[in-house]
Amino acid sequence: MHIVVCAKQIPDPETPPSAFKIDAANNKVIPAQGIAPVLSQFDGIAAEAALRIKEANAGSKVTVISMGAESAQAAIKQVLAMGADEGVLLNDPAFEDGDSHTTATVLAAAIKKLGNVDAVFCGRQAADWDMGQVGLLVAEDLGWPVAIIAKGVAMGGAGLQVQRVLENGFESLETPLPAVVTVSNEFGEPRYPKLPQIMAAAKKTVTNWKLGDLGLDAGAVGKAGSRLKLEKLFIPEKGGKVELMEGDTPQAQAAALVARLQADKIL
Amino acid sequence: MLQPTNVPDRPQRRVGAWWGPAVGISALGFYAAVTTEGSASREIGYNADHPWAVYAFMAALVGLMGYGFVRHAGLWLIGRPTPGLLQEIPHRLRNAARLGLAQDKVRRDRYAGIMHWCIFSSIVVLTIVTAQVAIEADLPFKFLHGPYYLFFSFYGDLFGLIGLVGVGMALYRRYYSDFHRIRWDERLEDHLIILGLGLVLLTGFLLESARILVTELHQHPDWAKWSFASYAIARGLDVFSFSEKQVLWLHTWVWWVHIAAAFGWLGLIVFTRLDHLFFAPINAFFLRTDSPGRLAKIEDIEQQEVFGVGYIQDFTWKQLFELDACVRCGRCSEVCPANISGQPLSPMHLIQDLKGHLANVGPAIQQHRHETGELGRELSSVALVGDVIKDETLWACRTCGACVQECPVMIEHVPTIVDMRRFLVMNEARIPATAQAALENLEMRGHPWRGTALERTTWMEGLGDVPIFDGSQEYLYWVGCSGSLVERNLPITKAVFRLLGEAGASFGVLGQEETCNGDPARRLGNEYLFQILAQQLIETFKAKNVQKVITNCPHCFNTFKNEYPQFDGHFEVLHHTEFLAGAMQSGKLVAKHTVNTTVTYHDSCYLGRLNGVYDAPRQIINMVHGANLTEMQRNLSKGLCCGAGGGNMWQEEVGERRVNHVRAEEAMRTGAESVVSNCPFCIQMFEDGVPAVHPEEEGRMKPFDVAELLEQAVFGPAAR
Ligand SMILES: Cc1cc2nc3c(=O)[nH]c(=O)nc-3n(C[C@H](O)[C@H](O)[C@H](O)COP(=O)(O)OP(=O)(O)OC[C@H]3O[C@@H](n4cnc5c(N)ncnc54)[C@H](O)[C@@H]3O)c2cc1C
Ligand code: SF4
Ligand code: SF4
Repeated sequence: MHIVVCAKQIPDPETPPSAFKIDAANNKVIPAQGIAPVLSQFDGIAAEAALRIKEANAGSKVTVISMGAESAQAAIKQVLAMGADEGVLLNDPAFEDGDSHTTATVLAAAIKKLGNVDAVFCGRQAADWDMGQVGLLVAEDLGWPVAIIAKGVAMGGAGLQVQRVLENGFESLETPLPAVVTVSNEFGEPRYPKLPQIMAAAKKTVTNWKLGDLGLDAGAVGKAGSRLKLEKLFIPEKGGKVELMEGDTPQAQAAALVARLQADKIL
Repeated sequence: MLQPTNVPDRPQRRVGAWWGPAVGISALGFYAAVTTEGSASREIGYNADHPWAVYAFMAALVGLMGYGFVRHAGLWLIGRPTPGLLQEIPHRLRNAARLGLAQDKVRRDRYAGIMHWCIFSSIVVLTIVTAQVAIEADLPFKFLHGPYYLFFSFYGDLFGLIGLVGVGMALYRRYYSDFHRIRWDERLEDHLIILGLGLVLLTGFLLESARILVTELHQHPDWAKWSFASYAIARGLDVFSFSEKQVLWLHTWVWWVHIAAAFGWLGLIVFTRLDHLFFAPINAFFLRTDSPGRLAKIEDIEQQEVFGVGYIQDFTWKQLFELDACVRCGRCSEVCPANISGQPLSPMHLIQDLKGHLANVGPAIQQHRHETGELGRELSSVALVGDVIKDETLWACRTCGACVQECPVMIEHVPTIVDMRRFLVMNEARIPATAQAALENLEMRGHPWRGTALERTTWMEGLGDVPIFDGSQEYLYWVGCSGSLVERNLPITKAVFRLLGEAGASFGVLGQEETCNGDPARRLGNEYLFQILAQQLIETFKAKNVQKVITNCPHCFNTFKNEYPQFDGHFEVLHHTEFLAGAMQSGKLVAKHTVNTTVTYHDSCYLGRLNGVYDAPRQIINMVHGANLTEMQRNLSKGLCCGAGGGNMWQEEVGERRVNHVRAEEAMRTGAESVVSNCPFCIQMFEDGVPAVHPEEEGRMKPFDVAELLEQAVFGPAAR
């Protein structure tokens, strides 16, 4: 069993609000000073899911891939320290400023190049833009079945048995391999890496693939291939408004409140 | 100045305990010499001349002890080498004398101190008495006659009686009082030891009385009186007018019982906790000579095969040796905040469980080592960490050092516990989720406060120009993660900042450039992460030419002061209370305003017990006009931890109660209006604990830092 985990490095979601700045003119987030980017939370969980399958099935292998800047090495190393076997960084200026679709194109190309992949595990959504698209689009590109927002996944039946989180319950399904699964936080916490593995991971070299290595056309990726246009990026104004209910007695005030809420169609 | 309520905390000399009796006894000897006529003496080995029996017993005892020692030593030696044990010999000898012989720690429980002194001094003196008898009997050198003989009779009886008083006190405690801790792990040997000693002493008196009855009572009553206790018994026996033959018969039997009991009792040393007779002073010699706040550094951490201690043979042999010294007195567990709160940790049981495990698996490991030279980690079928010592036991420890402080045989529990935590975290990665989140946060963000919305500079808002440290100022004011990233602590940081300014200190801060010094990582067992963080920060300090540091937090204080020197980071470190107390004493800082309030003071473990700073904060409180200090029952070195130490700030507690609730209750019992402390963790624990234990008294007691109290006194109540 060879599982590929797609891991994205994102700006730290715990950046203090006061340090979060955007470049409104270019519609871009300005990286906060001195705050290092982190592995997207759900991707750590996807890695945990893959590693549990690896441990339960001898001879399995986990490869982690990430499209991003050189700094995304850190995210890859983190998953390697958890126990993944190999890491691939997809780093090319041409990949920059894409959308979910171009990201999926690049990831799918890398997965094809790896070959012999039985499953791809993604996070349910990247914790920065929260699009929740890439997993589905990778499956589309590869022509594989996909199960999204999984809270459980294991080998069994036709290939994988997956429990999906629904709005008001769970769904169990089975999929043949190869397949794509996106993993949700209900799955559980990612493991804390053991020190010997951290040290082993530090010594591992991460493979670097560029546009040319993937045989992709520059027009199909990054900004050039992007179909999504960002109109305006802004930090919403936060505010509160207080309205005091008039009335001489508590009863009158309560009646005024009810009337007000009814007028706003809240009651 | 108010006196702390229970004082025997700081090292103090009780030389009187030894010199008093010694002077008294010598005076009596002198008196005996001038008043007695004729040459008093007695026949040694009277009526029971079986030296062969005595020497046979003696030989058996020596053999037994040799066997015991070799057996024990073989087990200790499966441990790793212990570095540094033969350095600072004078300091170590002082420890052996002060803690081993003079038993400073035993006396921390006054009753036990008196009891133990009675028994101990009686055994020592009676051993000397016996040795003199042996010399007189079997060596050509004769000295037991004349005044010295009388004097000898006197102190022999005196210390026999003192021993009986000790035994009586022990019997009372064990069988009649409702004194719990000595029964938490009671065994047959405990009864044997105390009853056996009683038997030896009583038969000793009986023996002496029988002899006096036959040879002195009527012949030399003025000699006999010197053996005052036996003389009294002899006179009692005289009433029955036994025939000489009967008395001699009695004498013979008692002699045999006495000899057998005495040697039997000495034999217990080999098999029971009586071995502390030797191990306690030796362990006092082995006791660390550096600060108890310092944890050992793992050298060449990247080259280790196993991190921390997950197998008994990975402890140092000193750590294994001290297991044997434990006397199961329960003092450690009695003061352990986790144990007090019904949480799954009792340091005494932890030590005993380790000892039991060593006895179970040690011999096989020893043999394997002997045969193959290998470590034999795989030999134990039970896991040291997980089976023998449960994970939750290790996590419950606050590293507060109360156990170490009380242990009369100088066992150091904390390093042993942390060694096993290191294994749990680094080797096994088994960590409670919340502690894991704190560690991950340290790795990712350089501070343990996951989810904080504050920045390291937030506290500076509204303070005008905050000087950034650039090497030109005298002090670096180190705010720390809690001081800048936890809402409640910002006022404390501001207070210290304003007070430093008022005192005219030349100082600056690092602001955004502060990163965690690593204390939470080290205490939680991630030594690797600690080393990375510490090395980074030491580089920063050196690059900025930092020489002197004032810290907000006792944990930062301890790490800088005691642990950074392990990484060649040598700085002069002060806690803010030390600096502020000094500034007040030199008149640079004046508490102009009266603050009418009653306060109680909570000693944080890392400032108090582990670094001995008890006075500075109290001096500040006492220099504030109107502030009235009421001490809690447990204070100074006996102070109870707030519950947050040892990384427990970031853990869910398991057990009956929370430690901070127990401590908050103790603080509230003083009736004070505020509980004043010196540590951002303590303050948070009280903020949480005070309203939780007495919700009906909401707002009656408020937690403050010493600096907040002083701020009001210096700048006026409107300052807040
Ligand atoms: C408005 C806007 C602005 C953007 N600005 C930037 C920008 O400044 N910098 C920038 O780098 N990108 C930018 N992007 C593109 C962004 O990289 C992609 O949208 C993103 O990679 C995919 O969308 P998502 O992050 O919402 O992923 P989702 O679809 O939510 O991701 C689901 C899962 O797909 C996988 N995955 C997603 N992305 C990657 C990846 N890169 N590598 C490996 N696995 C991945 C992960 O497993 C993830 O959990 C922007 C996109 C938008 C819409
Ligand atoms: S250090 Fe404190 S919490 Fe830990 S075992 Fe000792 S007394 Fe208990
Ligand atoms: S460890 Fe020390 S304090 Fe605790 S029971 Fe043993 S001897 Fe007593």
